Amino acid sequence: MKFDGMKFALSAPEPPFGRAGLAAIAGLLVVWEILGRLELSIFIPSASTVAVAWWGLLTDGTLLRSAGSSFGSLLKGFLPAAAFGIALGLCMGRFRTLREVLDGWINALMSAPLSALVPVLIALFGVRDTVVAATVFLFSFFVIVVNTMTGVRGTERSLVEMARAYGASEAALFVRIYLPGALPAILLGVRLGVVQAVKGMVVGEMLISLVGMGERLVYYGNTFLIPELYAVIVSVLLVALLSATLVQACERALVRWK
Amino acid sequence: MSAPVGISIERVARSFGPVQALVDIGIEVRAGELLALIGPSGCGKTTLLKCIAGLLPVDAGRIVIGSRTVTGPGGREASLVFQDFALLPWASARENAEFGLLLRGAPAAERTQAARRALAKVGLAGSFEDAYPAQLSGGMQQRVGLARALAVNPQVLLMDEPFASIDEQTRRILQDDLLRLWSEERKTVVLVTHSMEEAIYLSDRVVVLSPRPGRVHRVLEVPLPRPREALDVRASGEFARLVDELWQILKKLQ
Repeated sequence: MKFDGMKFALSAPEPPFGRAGLAAIAGLLVVWEILGRLELSIFIPSASTVAVAWWGLLTDGTLLRSAGSSFGSLLKGFLPAAAFGIALGLCMGRFRTLREVLDGWINALMSAPLSALVPVLIALFGVRDTVVAATVFLFSFFVIVVNTMTGVRGTERSLVEMARAYGASEAALFVRIYLPGALPAILLGVRLGVVQAVKGMVVGEMLISLVGMGERLVYYGNTFLIPELYAVIVSVLLVALLSATLVQACERALVRWK
Repeated sequence: MSAPVGISIERVARSFGPVQALVDIGIEVRAGELLALIGPSGCGKTTLLKCIAGLLPVDAGRIVIGSRTVTGPGGREASLVFQDFALLPWASARENAEFGLLLRGAPAAERTQAARRALAKVGLAGSFEDAYPAQLSGGMQQRVGLARALAVNPQVLLMDEPFASIDEQTRRILQDDLLRLWSEERKTVVLVTHSMEEAIYLSDRVVVLSPRPGRVHRVLEVPLPRPREALDVRASGEFARLVDELWQILKKLQ
């Protein structure tokens, strides 16, 4: 999985939807609408009903209120995860001892079902939106660390040798060789991290079920307001897509040399 | 411009674990000379070049460039040119050419000026300076590598098989360009190569190293007239005779 990621980083990031992608979405909407009109089950409302519900939630402010709360938690959890994740990844890539000490933990926590930790977080932070931020942090941190570390370790030996031959200090090596060399992998980690962060946000909010879009999901699910439920699900997807697109725009701006 | 300096390699030894790479190497590189190092693979020619550059410490003996004994990398007398070019993929041709000066803390204006001058010397003036390495051919990438080496105005160029990964036609052009630059700049050049024709065509002397452990096996004088790039030296009988002489030496070492 790590390796697929690296390969992906080496090709220029593509926009999320090409012409074929848009056609596929249009097709899906048509099929969804037909299935909904057949009234097979109350759990399959038609696309248009969902759109109406979505518009209702948007205009009465419910969606913006819950999305605002969700976005706040997302930023509070993700920005520290990115900052600490990149810093730790750089150090682990550069210093072998640190890598040997931490590598097992990082890998274990990256693949562990982190939702299981949410009750621990609730015990630690109480039932507040801090728990959501902490969940976001946990979900996105490790993938950023691992990608950054992989990027640093993938730096070409000959570039390091070249810089040393021209008199680079250890600090200059870090700033001039390792950091720019690892940048595509770091940004890939950040992009994957954002997606993980949205997952963490929803999981955290649903489990404490008091704030944000997760709370709306639980509420509409429990009260069988199915079109509204779908409307919130679509909104969560939009948040994930928007975040990933923002990171991709940063990638394109920062990695022009590929 | 500073006068060229010689390099004195005195009883140098270097091993990697139990493997002796270099034993008792003694070479006096004259100031302004173009010296080629050749030998079968595993003879330690690149190791020796890295020792001269200070990238690898020697186990015994010493290497003196001009008046300074080499103790580590980053010395100002010598610049390295790499077989795989070792260009920063995220930096433009000009930024790559500036890199040595950047590490030495030169101000931006001075860096840009020196890099432009060096790029012009290697035939890459103008529109190429904003190109990224991936947009340049192998030959042009090595020109950038050479410009980076020249931009810091070293007295010595250390070249590690600089043209080995470049196609034959381009290689010949680059060899001629190197000869022209060398005669204009009067630098001491140590060139590691595995090409007998290249060694004879370019150098004043060829040092043949024997493998495992690397020792100086023979030193061959190359009395071909200069400027060779203008005299069509490759077509001469003397050139062919010297290449064959070198081949006879190397053949016995295989």
